[in-house]
Amino acid sequence: MSSTAIVAIMAIVLVAVASAVVGAIGVRARSTSDFLVASRTVRPGTNAAAISGEYLSAASFLGIAGIVLQEGVDALWYPVGFTGGYLALLLFVAAPLRRSGAYTVPDFAEERLGSPVLRKICTLFVIVIGWLYMLPQLQGAGLTVATVTSLPPWLGVAAAGTIIVVTVALGGMRSITLVQAFQYWLKLTALAVPAVIALIFFLNDDRTFDRAAPPQFAARTTVDIRTDVVLQVGLPVSLEAAGVVDGRPVDGPVRWEPGPHTVAEDSRLVFAGGTAVPVVAGSPPTDAEWLDPLPASRDHGLLAIYSLIIATFLGTMGLPHVLVRFYTNPDGRAARRSAVLVLAMLGLFYLMVTVLGALSRLYTPQLLVSGETDAAVLLLPAAVLGSGWAGVLLGGIVAAGAWAAFLSTSSGLLASIAGVLSTDVLRGRARDLRFSALLAGAVPLMLALGVTRLDFSETVALVFAVAASTFCPLLILGIWWRGLTDHGAVAGVLVGGVLSVVAVALSLAGLSGTGWIGVLLYRPAVVSVPAAFLTMIVVSLLTAQRRPADTDRVLLRLHAPERLGLSRDRIEGRGQQFG
Amino acid sequence: MSTTGERSTGTIYEQVQDSPEFADLRSRLRRFVFPMSAAFLLWYLAYVLLASYAPGFMSIKVIGNINVGLIIGLLQFVTTFAITTIYVRYANKYLDPAAERLRTQIESAT
Repeated sequence: MSSTAIVAIMAIVLVAVASAVVGAIGVRARSTSDFLVASRTVRPGTNAAAISGEYLSAASFLGIAGIVLQEGVDALWYPVGFTGGYLALLLFVAAPLRRSGAYTVPDFAEERLGSPVLRKICTLFVIVIGWLYMLPQLQGAGLTVATVTSLPPWLGVAAAGTIIVVTVALGGMRSITLVQAFQYWLKLTALAVPAVIALIFFLNDDRTFDRAAPPQFAARTTVDIRTDVVLQVGLPVSLEAAGVVDGRPVDGPVRWEPGPHTVAEDSRLVFAGGTAVPVVAGSPPTDAEWLDPLPASRDHGLLAIYSLIIATFLGTMGLPHVLVRFYTNPDGRAARRSAVLVLAMLGLFYLMVTVLGALSRLYTPQLLVSGETDAAVLLLPAAVLGSGWAGVLLGGIVAAGAWAAFLSTSSGLLASIAGVLSTDVLRGRARDLRFSALLAGAVPLMLALGVTRLDFSETVALVFAVAASTFCPLLILGIWWRGLTDHGAVAGVLVGGVLSVVAVALSLAGLSGTGWIGVLLYRPAVVSVPAAFLTMIVVSLLTAQRRPADTDRVLLRLHAPERLGLSRDRIEGRGQQFG
Repeated sequence: MSTTGERSTGTIYEQVQDSPEFADLRSRLRRFVFPMSAAFLLWYLAYVLLASYAPGFMSIKVIGNINVGLIIGLLQFVTTFAITTIYVRYANKYLDPAAERLRTQIESAT
C-alpha cells in the first residue's frame, strides 16, 4: 500500500472516530426534545453550519466537481438548483411548517388532513427517498476508499455500509448540532485548501481552457477502464491498449480515427504526453464547447435542464433530514438569519467544488476517459502537487472531507429511516431500534452493490425528482390552499411517486432510451411534478365534500404569527411527550 | 388538554381570523412571496432560453477564459443569495411589525 493510501486511511479513521466520540458524549437520542433543548442555546451561525453540514452530502462533495469536469458550464445548474431549492423551502414551507409543530411530512399530512392512509403513503415515500439518497452516499464512500487505496470498489461500499450501520445501531454518531457544524467546517477546509493551491498553480501555469480542441494529457498517462465505455474521438489518437477495444482483443499500439470507440471493462489504455483526450460519448468533446452553455452536441439539452431545475428547486423541501433542522432556531427571526447564512455557506462550498471540477479538466483528464469523473476532487491534489509529502497530505485531507460528508448525511438519513421503520412499519414486532437500523442500512447497501454506478449528480437529481413529485405538491397545496382533501392528496402523491419512481428504477437498472424519452427517464420531474399537482387539485375539487372541518383552524395556525399562543402549546406538549 | 384551554383557543382563532391586522399580514406576505418567486423563476428560465437561442451572446469572451454564459451562471448564485437577503429584510421590516400589531391587538382584546 502506498504512503498516499496510508495517510488517507488514517485521516478517514480519525474523522470517523472523532465524530463517534463527540456524538457519544453528547445528547442521548435524536429526539424532539433534543432539538427543542438545542433551540435555546444554539446561535444562528452554528445552526447555519449544522444545516449546511447535514445538507452537503458525499454526492455534493464529489459529484458536483465530477459533473463540472464532464459537462462544463451546464453543470452549474446542479449547485444553483440545490441552493435555489433551499430558498423555495424558506419562502413557502419553513415558517408555516414550524408553526404547525409537525416534524416530518407524515406528521404534517396527518395533522392537516387527518388521514391514516395518507400518513402511511408518506411514510413509505420517506423510506424510499431516504434509501435512494443513501445510495450515492454509500457509493461515494466506496469510491473514496477505492480511489485512495486501489481496493476494489465493492469492498469500499461494503465497508462504508457496515461502519454506518454499526455506529448508528450502537447509538453513536447522532445528529447533534455541534457535530454537524464541525463537519461543515471540515468539509469546507478539505475543499478550500486544495482549491486555493490548485488555483495558484493554474495562474502560474501557461495552461488555458480556451481552445477549440479536446483537453490534452500533460504527461504519459495510464488509464484503467473499470466499466465498459464508449469514447468519442475528435482528433486521430495513437495509444497503447491491453484488453478489448472496439470488440477485438488487443495488446499493443492502436490508432483511433475520429468517431466512437468502445472499450471493455478491465482494459488498460496508455496515452503519451500531449495526446488529445478522448471523452466519454455524450459529454462536450472540446474545451470551447465545454465552456459554452447548451452546446449543440447535447441532445434535448433544454428539456434536460428545465427538468433538472424543477426537480432541484422543488425537491429540497421534501428531503426528510433537511426539514427537521428548522426547529433548532429559537424564533422566526433567528431562523431567517440562519437561512441567509446557510445560503452563503452553501454558495462558498459549491464555489470550491466548481473550481476543483474545472481545474481537474487540466490536471486529471484521464477521468474523462475512464468515466470516473466523480473521483476528480480526490485525485486533483496529487495531480497538481505530485506524490511528494504535500500531495499526500492534501490527498488525505480531501479523503477525510469526503468521508465526513458521507458520515454526516448518511447518519442523519439512516437514523430517520430507522426511526420511521420502528415506529410506523415494524410496530411492536421489533421494538429494538438496532434491528431497524440494520434493515434501514441493508437495503441501500444491496442497492449500492447491485446497480451500476451512475454519476453521483445524476443519482441525486433522481432522488430530488421523487421528492419534488410527492412531498412538494403536498406541502405547497397543504399550506397554501384550503381546498385540499385527503383523497386528492393520496391520488396526487401516488401519481407523482409512481411516475418518478418508475423512471428512477429504469435508470438505475441501466435501461436508457434515446431522444426525449431517454432524457425523461433521467429527468422525470418536468412530467411527474405537474402531473402530481394537477391530480391533487382535480381530485380535491371532485371530492370537495371531504374537505376537513378544521381546515380553517389548521391553516390559521400555520399562517398566524408565532407568539400569538396558537402554536406554542402544541410544541410544548410535544416536548413533554418525547422528553 | 383542558376544556377551558380548548374554548379559549377557539375564541382566539376567531378573533385572529376576523381581524383586519391578520388580513394585512397575510396580504403583505403574499404580495412579497409570490411575485418574488415568479421573478426568480423567470430569471432562471431566461438564462436557459438565452443559452439555447442566443449561444453567440453567451460565448462572448469577457476576460480570458471567462465568457458571458459562465458569468450569468455564477450570477444565479448571487441572485439566490440576494433574494434571500431581501426576503429577510422585508420580513424584519414589514412582517414582524405587522405580526406584533396583531399580537397587541389580540392581547388587549382578551
